[in-house]
Amino acid sequence: MKDKMTIVLFSGELDKAIAAFTLATTAAASNMDVSIFFTFWGLNILKKSRFTITRFQGPIQKMFNLMSTSKLPLSRLNMFGLGPWMMKRLMKRTGMASLEDLMILAKQLKIKYIACTTSCGVLGLSKESLAGVVDEFAGASSYLNEAKDSKINLFI
Amino acid sequence: MKTDRILDCTGLFCPMPIIKTKVLLDTMKSGQVLEIDSDDPGFEKDLAAWCKMTGEKFVGIEKDGSILKGYVIKK
Repeated sequence: MKDKMTIVLFSGELDKAIAAFTLATTAAASNMDVSIFFTFWGLNILKKSRFTITRFQGPIQKMFNLMSTSKLPLSRLNMFGLGPWMMKRLMKRTGMASLEDLMILAKQLKIKYIACTTSCGVLGLSKESLAGVVDEFAGASSYLNEAKDSKINLFI
Repeated sequence: MKTDRILDCTGLFCPMPIIKTKVLLDTMKSGQVLEIDSDDPGFEKDLAAWCKMTGEKFVGIEKDGSILKGYVIKK
């Protein structure tokens, strides 16, 4: 049986997402089955559009979706959005793979994406507001069921 | 060393050299030799570790200036 790895992607920050996808793609390229469980701010990585506001959301949900978007900040030195812009330029210049590249690779390497339905519910996110790459919509039990047979489990 | 394929990964950082190695090795036949050129200093340890995980045969690393030439035999 193949080894397994799971990642809980809780953070919605560019640098942390790159770290998660670097490990996930490398594990998948090392013949492991990899699942990523996106929860809370991690769902921002999967949002189809920048502002995911629908008429079904309450005012607080609308505010969260306006202020926490798919335009990911840096976890440090964000400098009101200047940080990610500079980091992306630096990564391009030095030849580091971008988050977009890593996410395309992740799907080619058949990494499974699970979106947390509780977080989706709290933030008022419909299946349609997330990218079509999500394989499953599930909760804590599904994650734990995968994690208990997995050798590597990370919370990022 | 006689090689069947050469993969140029210069200018790329982790995880790209390993992922490109895997993708190319998947298209090769058992017993064929792949040379991977990389200028990422971490590649030396990474290639050996990746081969240990996947069971591909790690032959060794040759240093050519700042370029690391890794050799792998497809299992």
